[in-house]
Amino acid sequence: MKKAVSTLAAAGLALAILMTASCAKKEAPKPQDVTVNMFQLKVEIKDALDGYAASYSAAHPGVTVKVETLGGGGDYGGALKAKSQAGQMPDIFQIEGRGHYEVWKDYIADLSAEPWVKDTDLAFKVDGKVLGFPVAIEGYGLAYNADILAKAGIDPASLTTRAAYEKAFKTLDAKKKELGISAPVSMAASVAGGMWWVAGQHNLACYWGGGLPFDDTSVIQKALKGEMDEPRFTQYAKYVQLLFKYADRNILLNGSYDDQVGAFAQGKTAFLHQGNWVDPNLKQLGVTFKIGYAPHAFLDTEEKGLYLFAPSWYVVNSKSPNAQAAKAFLAAMATTPEGHDYMVNKAGMIPAFKSVTLKPSGQLSQELMAANARGGNYGVFFGMLPDGAGQNVFAPVYDLFAQNPNNLSQFIADMKKAIAGLPGMK
Amino acid sequence: MRKNTLVNVLFLAPCVFAFVMIIIIPFFLGLYYSMTDWNGVNPDVAFVGLENFRSLFSAPDFIYSFLATMGYTLINVVLVNVVSFVLSLIVTSRIRFRNFFRAGFFVPYLIGGIVLGYIWQFILNSILVDLGEALSLEFLQSSFLSRSGSVIWAMSAVNTWQYAGYIMLIYIAAIQSIPASLMEAATVDGAGYLTRVFKILIPMMANAFTISLFLTLTTSFKQFDMNFTLTNGGPATRFLDQPVKASQLLAMNIFNTATANRMAEAQAKAVVLFVSLVVVALIQVSINKKKEVEM
Repeated sequence: MKKAVSTLAAAGLALAILMTASCAKKEAPKPQDVTVNMFQLKVEIKDALDGYAASYSAAHPGVTVKVETLGGGGDYGGALKAKSQAGQMPDIFQIEGRGHYEVWKDYIADLSAEPWVKDTDLAFKVDGKVLGFPVAIEGYGLAYNADILAKAGIDPASLTTRAAYEKAFKTLDAKKKELGISAPVSMAASVAGGMWWVAGQHNLACYWGGGLPFDDTSVIQKALKGEMDEPRFTQYAKYVQLLFKYADRNILLNGSYDDQVGAFAQGKTAFLHQGNWVDPNLKQLGVTFKIGYAPHAFLDTEEKGLYLFAPSWYVVNSKSPNAQAAKAFLAAMATTPEGHDYMVNKAGMIPAFKSVTLKPSGQLSQELMAANARGGNYGVFFGMLPDGAGQNVFAPVYDLFAQNPNNLSQFIADMKKAIAGLPGMK
Repeated sequence: MRKNTLVNVLFLAPCVFAFVMIIIIPFFLGLYYSMTDWNGVNPDVAFVGLENFRSLFSAPDFIYSFLATMGYTLINVVLVNVVSFVLSLIVTSRIRFRNFFRAGFFVPYLIGGIVLGYIWQFILNSILVDLGEALSLEFLQSSFLSRSGSVIWAMSAVNTWQYAGYIMLIYIAAIQSIPASLMEAATVDGAGYLTRVFKILIPMMANAFTISLFLTLTTSFKQFDMNFTLTNGGPATRFLDQPVKASQLLAMNIFNTATANRMAEAQAKAVVLFVSLVVVALIQVSINKKKEVEM
């Protein structure tokens, strides 16, 4: 009896192993229908994009677009690697700059012949070839609370030099009680709060591109060879020092994104160092005061532009048999009224295509769109840095400077050393 | 028994298969990748020998993470074991509600490291700072997590809060397995409470110390989740004249290297972590084993 039971169990087990093994061979999908798999990282537009993909699929028989989203706190890069290792590389995926391009270049198709290429300045290009579809325009300056500045008697239009900022910050600092603010600036730079990117990417981008023509990458090209433009950097460092000295200490050294944006939304600071992506947060926090963007004017000379960039690009998997359908999907997004409606009204983004006439609803997004139309803005190039340079190299340098903003020469020396180490990071 | 060989093999097969596939093969693959320039995607992998390891020991951030992990482990092993041993003495004494206390001390262990990190971040960054401002206590007005000198201690305190209850259970079991007659005999002979603890209790539960020290040592060495949510590696400090992250322990250093698409370098760091952990743990166990007594 016992032997019979054990034989039976063994047979069952053998069967189970066989079954799992045979399960691996799934039947292939039907050949006539094309399914375009898209894998994207902007969590905030997930619902809008799912909706657009569904209506596109409905309008195009034989084509189904499936969108998978992973982002925010999720490890998009890791998941994409897992997919490629598993042979399930998506047809459309997203890259955030040169570092990602270097990793994925074997999978990235040439999009130079696409109809939307002429309609944008922000496509991802390498050696003159267009490779990435700009997902949106994002951008920033130093956001200000117009009510507080008016009460303090500061004209935001005058904030175009570092000296003007210094005067304004001093005035605000002296009138803190009267204005009901805790500090002039809401700035975050801490490693601990996960906010290193505000300083180490967005603020540092002022040094890379501020005051230069929109596509002038000379400063960052030099840095990638390990050299720093010291007179220019010194002016920049003095600007960082100003921001740090007049920032709320606890937010600067420890604050999270919510702390930083929340303080500005509650009227506890006059300035906020963030981009137009805070529009939905400000709306959620019930902000009613008028907000505008002042330029990050760090030079001794005058600067009036804002910083505009495409934070990420959609790229088409060159090894996929569905590449043609994937290209058509992106083209429709950029060129049809339905696509424009999705980008502006549903997803709340600023499209990077000049032919789009719809207007976004957020105050900061409107400011950016106006700045884009006005021209004279600056490019944002931190995406050209090697992967990890911001988080692992620049982040602790800024954090240390925030702890002791009086030590300007140390900050300059540390950054010089950090930049000198960039060529070794390849 | 010979007849059952086939059965034995079949029953073992799934476990062996899983073990080989998810432990043995990845382990050796990892060893191989630590000697290449792989970035995680690129199909052309070049063999570079020990190049990754050589550059590690001249990188201040890695040396710092290594030393910080050692320091954190040392603090943790002492703190967790002292606290949990004292707790276990308390809840095995004749105090009232001792079962309630046992459960209470154990509860923090049931909260995951991620959640726990956020809870304590809120306590340390907001509650204590506000308290400091309300009471005008200078030393509380900036968070313990924003000072590079105190951040490792704050992490150890949080880890102790989480882990002491678990180790306490091991000590309770060990204390309860000591025959009551032994303790009674000592009491009759006139031994005081402390004498009984140090001369009888501790030597009799040496095997519990072996396992507890091993557990605390290995978990502190591999600490990641609480590190990630509580401090994220911050604040910065200066080490070998370079700014580094003051609370970035080894596991987090590896993670940050890997997420920057430097897979081979991260793998080399992981090999270093593995080897040092094995060495330290072997030393600890062999020392502890010598102190154990047979009943």
